[in-house]
Amino acid sequence: MSDSDGEYQASDDGANPNEELATGTTTKTGKQRAAWEGVQRSWAAVLDSAGDGSIDSMVQTLRESKQRKRLMKDTTPLQRGIIRHLVLILDMSFAMVEKDMRPTRQLLTIRYASEFITEYFEQNPISQLAIIGLRDGVAEMISVMGGNSTDHIEKLKLQRGKEAAGAPSLQNGLEMSRAQLFHTPAHGTREVLIIYGALLTSDPGDMHKTIEMLKKDKIRVSIVGLAAQVAICAELCKKTNHGDDKNYSVATDDHHFRELFMKLTTPPITRTKEQSQASLLSMGFPSRISGAGQTMSFCVCHNKLCSGGYLCSRCQSKVCSLPSECPVCGLTLILSTHLARSYHHLFPLQNWAAVSWKDAVRSVACYACQSPFLKLSKAKEKETEIEGMVKIVESKIVSESGRYACPVCRKHFCIDCDVFAHEVLHNCAGCQSDTRGLADESVEFAA
Amino acid sequence: MDGVDGTDRQEGKQDGPTPSLLFIILDTNPHAWALLQNTLPFSKAIANILVFINAHLAVNNANQVAVIASHSQRSVWLYPRPPSDPQHGDDSDTGMDDENKTDTSNLSDASKYRPFALIENSLLHSLRKLIKTTTEADIKATTSTQMAGALTMALSYINKATIAFLDTGAAAKPTPTALDSSDKAVGLQSRILVVSVSGDLAYQYIPIMNSTFAAQRLRVPMDILKLAGDTVFLQQAAFTTRAVYLQLKNLQGVLQYLMMAFLPDQLARKHLVVPTQEVVDFRAACFCHRSVVDVGFVCSICLSIFCTPPEGAICLTCETQLALGDYGNKPAVIPKKKKKKKRALDGGSSRATPAPEAA
Ligand SMILES: [Zn+2]
Ligand SMILES: [Zn+2]
Ligand SMILES: [Zn+2]
Ligand SMILES: [Zn+2]
Ligand SMILES: [Zn+2]
Ligand SMILES: [Zn+2]
Repeated sequence: MSDSDGEYQASDDGANPNEELATGTTTKTGKQRAAWEGVQRSWAAVLDSAGDGSIDSMVQTLRESKQRKRLMKDTTPLQRGIIRHLVLILDMSFAMVEKDMRPTRQLLTIRYASEFITEYFEQNPISQLAIIGLRDGVAEMISVMGGNSTDHIEKLKLQRGKEAAGAPSLQNGLEMSRAQLFHTPAHGTREVLIIYGALLTSDPGDMHKTIEMLKKDKIRVSIVGLAAQVAICAELCKKTNHGDDKNYSVATDDHHFRELFMKLTTPPITRTKEQSQASLLSMGFPSRISGAGQTMSFCVCHNKLCSGGYLCSRCQSKVCSLPSECPVCGLTLILSTHLARSYHHLFPLQNWAAVSWKDAVRSVACYACQSPFLKLSKAKEKETEIEGMVKIVESKIVSESGRYACPVCRKHFCIDCDVFAHEVLHNCAGCQSDTRGLADESVEFAA
Repeated sequence: MDGVDGTDRQEGKQDGPTPSLLFIILDTNPHAWALLQNTLPFSKAIANILVFINAHLAVNNANQVAVIASHSQRSVWLYPRPPSDPQHGDDSDTGMDDENKTDTSNLSDASKYRPFALIENSLLHSLRKLIKTTTEADIKATTSTQMAGALTMALSYINKATIAFLDTGAAAKPTPTALDSSDKAVGLQSRILVVSVSGDLAYQYIPIMNSTFAAQRLRVPMDILKLAGDTVFLQQAAFTTRAVYLQLKNLQGVLQYLMMAFLPDQLARKHLVVPTQEVVDFRAACFCHRSVVDVGFVCSICLSIFCTPPEGAICLTCETQLALGDYGNKPAVIPKKKKKKKRALDGGSSRATPAPEAA
């Protein structure tokens, strides 16, 4: 809880323009409310008759529309390569010293890369990652292929003190990634993601040969440029992605950069059968033993004495960390929660539709969180006054009544629950909480 | 009721200690409670839980509580009571009026702290209504409980309460979701307590796991108090969200366990030694028969789990033709090693010379 003193000072100093603006508006409306009528401000846009109030609700509506637009995505379940192997190549050449992105391109890239790694493992829990830096014409191994996000982030943080210098070599970076991706099994994806600030590459050999080799190895390359389009990058992406050039993008500012970077945490769509060989893997889901109060025993993976661990579901040998392969019987051991994390990709929640006033009378409160909805009679009085808002409402993205309906269970929800359900929870409160009168099979796995 | 909540929040930001929201999910599965009739009758369990709720409210007067029932086929709000539905408002409204009269007489009892009485009345009234509206057909239809729905509602409510708390409290920056703000470990401390009596929930595997990961992202611990049965996925949920999982052996002592293990909130738990799980069962439910398995077959494209290789080696979820491996005792890894050696040499030679040359 940040104390209110600090908040007021912040608006005096103007340290952060965004923050200042936000506190400014809230205090303003706060005062106005107290002076005028003391209406308890609802999260749903309160349509005050005064000018300030309508601006406030406009802002609210715009925010809702922004949130909804982000939500309105394609919900057809696609085949996605969920076991990913990705090499992250970071440009650390002279071009990264530029300060067009604050504080420098280099530092910003490292910061976003740490966020990327966290999100990558959140979304692709049994995937692997390696990091390579391009500095002084050579490719530098920053972190080898592995599945531990904290290891990667720690190694990446060490790079903050080192100065970006020299020319970058795309070819060296790509050849090193090829070596990294060689051992990876055929059922996973092989990807290279390059963050590239320079407009040139100084290579020891023929770049086109490298591209051919990448194609042969079924490695796909995505590039986020920081300055301008570079022909060889475009060609590289296009050729390694079956002629699709969407994987090459150039960031216009730091927000855009972050957006492009984070977009790549979602697993890529598998286009062709050759890109990844689908297979049925036999896996064990061992139980975890804490070993508290019992004698310590050796683990089979490192021959070390340790108290807790996981017992292989087939041969009962103890391994100390997951995911791993049982050294005794060769069974792949994994935490079932690792797999379960990706199931919302398979059974995506359908988009919820905006509810018009005509249907809105059915509900008085959000079905999931029980927060009351705006009543028609209250809202109708002022609605016509704000033309801008009506326009946004007409686009059918934002609901005029503040209600959103699930197409399956037809229950009504508020915008916060809509955003939360689609971005975090991936469950519909309505569909999950009443199964009376439904055929049992149809409910069972409808997430 | 909203008014009360609103003032609670207002006070919360001025007072020192961080308020916490306790969300209780009460498994009201009639089949399971019938089995406990002789050791811990339902009414006694409710009485114990009410004492626990009062203790939670007494810790900090800005503390909040919410209770939801995970019934046989639906999840139902017990406290706070949902605003009445206009469609079938008639019968429930009259029912409520009758009850409200008795409510007020109870509330005027001077020897009882008013907030305690409010919750007790509301909770008991909702429970009576729930039991009254449960038909024989409902009970016959299933022996399980609607845990996934209750968890989904609980998390939605907590998400909303966190947003509301931030809005009324220090609104330093506009936060559209509670996610961004929860990283800083300030604001409302929410936790879920599941009082569970039912066994297997395998057919709700995916929604329960989705709820678990959402709770983890919101940093909401999902405490589990198991009175009967054993549920693999609730064990995993407690482990994933770093919460307490307790399986009671002596049901008479339920209040003791509630008070000692579940009363401290997240901030207090940092200074305590909380009970840990000796064994966490990490088995999964297969997609084909919803049975719980410890060794399964996993589609490499969509990660669906099957207990036996599906017919024709076609994944039932994503319909991909899958290559079947040799699932004997010998792992299929050994031949790969040869390949690795050859290729590594090849890759090594081509990147060795960094002679700068402008392209
Ligand atoms: Zn080990
Ligand atoms: Zn084994
Ligand atoms: Zn809601
Ligand atoms: Zn629904
Ligand atoms: Zn099965
Ligand atoms: Zn599949």
